[in-house]
Amino acid sequence: MASNPPATKPSIADALNRLWIRFLPEIEGRITILETASQALANSSLTDEQREEAHAAAHKLSGTLGTFGLDRGTELARRAELEFEKQSPSVVPAELTAWISELGLLVRSRQ
Amino acid sequence: MSRRILIIDDEDDIRQVAALSLETVAGWDVIVASSGAQGLLRAAEHQPDAILLDVMMPGMDGPTTFRELRKNPATAKIPVLLLTAKVQGPDQRRFADLGVEAVLLKPFDPLTLSTQMEKVLGWD
Repeated sequence: MASNPPATKPSIADALNRLWIRFLPEIEGRITILETASQALANSSLTDEQREEAHAAAHKLSGTLGTFGLDRGTELARRAELEFEKQSPSVVPAELTAWISELGLLVRSRQ
Repeated sequence: MSRRILIIDDEDDIRQVAALSLETVAGWDVIVASSGAQGLLRAAEHQPDAILLDVMMPGMDGPTTFRELRKNPATAKIPVLLLTAKVQGPDQRRFADLGVEAVLLKPFDPLTLSTQMEKVLGWD
């Protein structure tokens, strides 16, 4: 069994930052899926497959982002998840696009 | 007191952050599995003190994995905590009704995850 000394806040913060950098490409990939789906929704060309993929990506982001300190990111991803869960998202496409744009900015600006 | 925890989650990032949190903050020993099927094997082999189990996984999902753990005498008594990003009330109740020790929400705070687990498992 491990018996590590108690962690200090900076040490776990540093380790979390390293994990963030490592997983950033995957997280950005999920954002891209959402951007593509919201664009398709705006063009009335969203397929079931795209919607399901976007739903899964939003679900994963909602569970991950807050763990890295991006609580607002979790909130936006959760909104997108609820919309993409529906057969026909009921939100105005421009609003969904705005949430996803903000989500992308939050993720890409996290240091 | 040192504990051994099994984390079952298909998402690499969540698995690694949870492992980092439990190892670094609490000093616990962590074993990981990336699927329900792998989790069943690891649970039987390593006999962890508790299992942190993701709900939404491809193939064998969390609830199915939980039921399989309960069927096997070697793992039936290991406390299981579900980990989910599903925050809607009906989902929460459905998961709680399975008979797990607790349902923990994603996102979790890496600094307090072990404390949260200690509290629900009566380890504090």
